[in-house]
Amino acid sequence: MNSLIKQILAVIGMNIRSLPQRFWTSLTTMLSIAVVVGVLLAFLAMSDGFDKTLNSSGADDVAVILNAGSQAELNSGLSGEVVKIVTDAPGIAKNENGPITSPELYVIVDGIKKTSLTEVNLPLRGLSLNGLKLRNNVKIIQGRMFQPGKNELVVGASILDQFNGFDLGRQVSLGGVTWTVVGVFDAAGSVFASEIWADYRAVQTQFNRGNSFQVVRVKLETAGDLSKIEAFIKADPRLSMDVTTESEYFSEQSSGVAVLMGLGWGMAIFMAFGALAGALNTMYTSVAARSVEIATLRAIGFKGIAAFCGTMVESVVLAFIGGVLGTLAVFVLFDGITTSTMGASFSQIVFSFDLSASAFITGIQFALIIGLVGGFFPAWRASRIPVVVAFTAST
Amino acid sequence: MNNAYLVFKNLTRNKLRLFLNSFAILIAFLLFGFLGSLQNAFDSGVELSADDRLMVVNKINFTQPLPIAYVNKIKAIEGVKDVTHANWFGGYYQDPRQQAMTFAVDAESYLRVYDNLVLDEKSQKDWLSNQQGMIVGERMATSYGWSVGDRIPLSSNIFSQTNGSNTWDLTISGIFKPSNPQTDTNFILIHYKYFNETQKWGGNRIGWLPITTLDPSLNQSVADAIDKQFANSSAETETSTESQFNKAFLEQLGDIGFIISGVVVAGFFTILLVVGTSMAQNVSERTGEIAVLKTLGFTSKRIFGLILSESLLLALFGGLLGLFFAGFFVTGASQEPQLKNILPNLIMSQDIVLRSLAYMLILGFVTGFIPAWRAMQLNIIDAFNKN
Repeated sequence: MNSLIKQILAVIGMNIRSLPQRFWTSLTTMLSIAVVVGVLLAFLAMSDGFDKTLNSSGADDVAVILNAGSQAELNSGLSGEVVKIVTDAPGIAKNENGPITSPELYVIVDGIKKTSLTEVNLPLRGLSLNGLKLRNNVKIIQGRMFQPGKNELVVGASILDQFNGFDLGRQVSLGGVTWTVVGVFDAAGSVFASEIWADYRAVQTQFNRGNSFQVVRVKLETAGDLSKIEAFIKADPRLSMDVTTESEYFSEQSSGVAVLMGLGWGMAIFMAFGALAGALNTMYTSVAARSVEIATLRAIGFKGIAAFCGTMVESVVLAFIGGVLGTLAVFVLFDGITTSTMGASFSQIVFSFDLSASAFITGIQFALIIGLVGGFFPAWRASRIPVVVAFTAST
Repeated sequence: MNNAYLVFKNLTRNKLRLFLNSFAILIAFLLFGFLGSLQNAFDSGVELSADDRLMVVNKINFTQPLPIAYVNKIKAIEGVKDVTHANWFGGYYQDPRQQAMTFAVDAESYLRVYDNLVLDEKSQKDWLSNQQGMIVGERMATSYGWSVGDRIPLSSNIFSQTNGSNTWDLTISGIFKPSNPQTDTNFILIHYKYFNETQKWGGNRIGWLPITTLDPSLNQSVADAIDKQFANSSAETETSTESQFNKAFLEQLGDIGFIISGVVVAGFFTILLVVGTSMAQNVSERTGEIAVLKTLGFTSKRIFGLILSESLLLALFGGLLGLFFAGFFVTGASQEPQLKNILPNLIMSQDIVLRSLAYMLILGFVTGFIPAWRAMQLNIIDAFNKN
């Protein structure tokens, strides 16, 4: 048994040391595996980052009430009367001022994206100071909060970071009316950091919304329990609304990115097959080039399994190095990069690429699978090389 | 021995390697063909824009409405040929998650401004005379299996009727076709007047105004004149050409498109690198044989040709197969409802096919040239000595 291990180690050593003889094919195999892993990880980093932003945005103890069928805050419309009715529903948490609710508006205004200098859709949310009670992770970091009834704006930190036109102290003209940016708020990496906030009355006036709103956020008595509000809405013929928890609302918004992720995985798998073909080729070449050597080893008593392991390990080592290279490249090039894309609510969502530890492991696993499959068949062939090959000189 | 036979024999001498190489090339061109088509579909909205068409939108953002009075005011501006208007209806059919893109428009002028939508005369007459009529793009009609005369309950995720329902019962008056196959027809047009009268919020507001100018050279002056006229009003406008507008909209998807294409280019060329190395190796293993051929009296030129055609043939074989599968996937993906809304004009264009062919030839040439050159230069004596 001990001698078998020695044999295996000896053959592995020979394989690894002979790698430089097959420098170019080994290098291209490694590179192709690096690219495949890189592509996969880039997509993972993108979707992880996007998901992280959306998931950190929603709370379980906050319900989002929209007009039935509207799917997104932007599409929804709720008259002042129905808002008044629904905010008295049971199941809503109360404090000394009554139910904790925040009727809000959600409209879109133009900003300029810094990286491309093109106009993009930015969400402008009209809300009252009560809205802050439903968002614990929001705090003003520069300037001050808007004053009720005034044409004042506060902007999320990501808005300041990624878009032009909303610097602190700046005058913004909307439809001939001047607004002033009076503060910047931090929203702990949530979607709200990509928003502009203003007092709801000022927004209603500016956008001709009369007394209407688009969404009502309410604090739930019991986290995740919508049953009382749902029953209340169902029982009242004047109300036709959809209720979801805020966390569920935001996780549904990421479905568009799911399509993109499907594309990313599909591409990575296809490319992996390409890289696999390359790896198989390299390993078959390696086996063919050393067939005399392998047969000679067999002739002096080495077991087939030793030849098998040698080729297998060579393949796995190449794949592993490729996987690490791909991971490092993604880490250097993409991790922490902040960008924005149009989310489901038709406006920009700022997020950062986030290469998590689990993504790293997935990438290395992916590389090792290519290495194992790519090594197995050639290794099988290596273990079957007949002893007689050693004596037939050149092939 | 004729050349074709030799090339064939050399290609098939190592069947496993032939298979692996063809397969890798297949994958590379499958990716290129598929993602190239995706990219093209993204860009086609910009490329297909008419150069005399302008978009007038609210300066705050294009989702903000404009007063309907702007139609006549803009019509009076010099250089303007035609004016129409449209509203976003937020339409869906049965399932709220399955968007059915719908615009509420002024029928007659809309078809005049968008002369790339072809509707036969009878359907046009029927639509204009039927308030509750709608016309449906060919693509959408095909995907839902709709035909002229069908009654369709069309819902909105934004608007509701005065009676509280958010579903309108409409009849298909006609199905319009595109004048160019890449033109998007995955949408529905309904009458603005009927929509405005029946919807609860009311307000005589319109979404945006597509207009045409008398001549593309007037675009800038017309755009300036329009924006100046409404400056400092409560609904300021922003006028841009259709292609600028479409481009800006696509830019909003952001760097993601760029990331996809960058990554694809990297992947595509790495696979080519792998195949290239293996093909070069294939030839260098045959040094001895080439020396024999030369001894038999094969000219250097003929050997060069043999080896080059071998690599060209391999590249074309794998590449065309890959392109074929790409075409298959593109057709499949274009039927996918979720993709249909984002990329309505997903087809594999001639441009992609030609570019793929060019890359196949380049691949074959680059991977074949150096080995072929070496074979041509090969000194017979050296080659035999080496063996």
